[in-house]
Amino acid sequence: MAATLLPEDLPLDAHKRTHSAETKRYGFFPGCVAKESCKELFNSTMLLADRLGIELIELTAASCCGASVVNDVNRDVARVLNARTYAQAEALGLDDVITICSTCTGHMRAANKELLESEERMDHANAILSKFGAKYQGNVTVRHLLWLLIDDIGLDNLRSMVVRPLNGLRVAPFYGCHIIRPESVNGWESARNPHSLEDLVEAIGGEPVDYAGKTRCCGFHIQLEKDNTAANMVGQNMRMAKDRGAEAVITPCPLCHLALDGYQADSAARWGRTDLPTFHLPQLVAFALGVAPEKLGLNKHLIDPRTILVERELIA
Amino acid sequence: MAQVKLDIFRFDEAVDAVPHRDVVTVDVPETTTVLDALETAKADVDGSISFRRSCRSAICGSCSMNINGVTGLACKTPCNTVMDDVGTIKIDPMPNFQPMKDLVVHMDPFWDKYARLKPYLQPADADSAHERERRVSPDDMRKLVDVANCIMCATCYALCPVVSVDPAFAGPAAIAYAYRFIEDVRDDKRKERLAQINEDYLWLCAHCYACSYCPKHVDPNDRIIDVKRATVKDRVMMNERGPRHALVVSKTIKQTGMLAETEVIQGTIGRFNVRGLLKVAPLGLRMAAKGKMPPPFLRPIPKVDEVRTIFDALEVPVS
Repeated sequence: MAATLLPEDLPLDAHKRTHSAETKRYGFFPGCVAKESCKELFNSTMLLADRLGIELIELTAASCCGASVVNDVNRDVARVLNARTYAQAEALGLDDVITICSTCTGHMRAANKELLESEERMDHANAILSKFGAKYQGNVTVRHLLWLLIDDIGLDNLRSMVVRPLNGLRVAPFYGCHIIRPESVNGWESARNPHSLEDLVEAIGGEPVDYAGKTRCCGFHIQLEKDNTAANMVGQNMRMAKDRGAEAVITPCPLCHLALDGYQADSAARWGRTDLPTFHLPQLVAFALGVAPEKLGLNKHLIDPRTILVERELIA
Repeated sequence: MAQVKLDIFRFDEAVDAVPHRDVVTVDVPETTTVLDALETAKADVDGSISFRRSCRSAICGSCSMNINGVTGLACKTPCNTVMDDVGTIKIDPMPNFQPMKDLVVHMDPFWDKYARLKPYLQPADADSAHERERRVSPDDMRKLVDVANCIMCATCYALCPVVSVDPAFAGPAAIAYAYRFIEDVRDDKRKERLAQINEDYLWLCAHCYACSYCPKHVDPNDRIIDVKRATVKDRVMMNERGPRHALVVSKTIKQTGMLAETEVIQGTIGRFNVRGLLKVAPLGLRMAAKGKMPPPFLRPIPKVDEVRTIFDALEVPVS
């Protein structure tokens, strides 16, 4: 019996792969969740990078960013753990570090800000790093893949690379708190009225859906504290999106993804059924750029996003 | 001068079954605050428009309201920063509160959560007639200065997404105010206060930073973390899920360099808490059916010894 063949990726003209002559290299910090329960995020990020013609070099010896939780037991540990990661990035010549998680983005940037704004804190971190011969010089910047797509690739460029436009699919952006708040740490765009995800959805042929829940919290961090409260936060936001006509959700954060994908069923009693399929940011962009959908791990989601893609005749 | 169209939420709980909206147009300089525009509307157009205000200078905390979907002090918001192309400003009462009349809300749940904290100093010698002032070092006082700026405007409470679905949560302002007494060296009830705020769901904060929009830069988000750290340091209520969660996250990062999802879930709920584990089992099974389970054990990252060196140097608690 012949082996089942994966559908081929849609062809992309070689000259459209990248807008720069040489391949751009970035340090890549995938974070814990993309390596554990959301492996489909990691895989689709790598596939997207290949399409974009950029090289994401994983910082394999990096630790967890602190996940906003270790701050609860110690004031300094997240800062020093991230200083160690930055020292590794610098040693590899990869000062431009890219993340794919809102929480990693926010907390790594917060740590970097603390280090760069205070010589005392930098010295304190480096005194500990020196125990194993490392030193952070202060040259690293941390950005989310979303920012890279818009600043480095560019929306026009991205638009020209689309080979499978979303055909007006109504996509609700869900930012996730830590990529926008606090503004003093992120500040790449307005935290109260961000529009980068909307711009991106529009560029790949979808129709962005505006709703008040897009900058609100998914409740991920209190799922284990009080699951009913966390589920209600998901339900409240997804109800707003659904009422505005959303057919799907896109999020730059795997923690939000776990919450939105996992808890809509549990919130139905109070908020009614919403069942909005949720895409990881790179999944949907890679799809539009022609990566074969079978490679994107869409089958790993609890609310199967393939249903809406079939309905909108985007896949067979 | 600009024509500002105030699109105002109107409701009187004594007579109205449902709210309606009125649009009131006023001519004011465009740098006028939303509060002054409202005052003009009340004085010149419709005297029945109700809202709370007093100082007009971001000191009294009375005039927090929802302005074009953003909650903040009306006296600190110039019209030209919020009005749209045709000069419209949509004004609603603070969310997370029951409206009373127009922009005035019932503040009782907010004050009740304050009152539970006993928001006054409780020194050891409270009952004796002390002869001298209680002195505090500048360093000790510095910790309290920012949070003492809280004007109880309830902006953070209105912005809090946890409060919006779970009224049991103390909310950002009350926790920040608890911090103000917990860290006050003159106070003698630190442990009792920590236990109280833990009972009022300290650990239900979702880390969302919505309260980072504090108009007085009290930044309750950071004070909440301070109170959690004080809880862990003083070993208060250590058998509850919140502290257990923080400590097991810390422990798995020290052991593997990563946040080990499987161990964090078990460690937070309790390995022998059969009922608690059964409650998360359906979601776990649905995820397993999709091949979406985190690995049961993680291989430590390369050079994990460096991570452990950091934890040891900082004496980070892991249990």
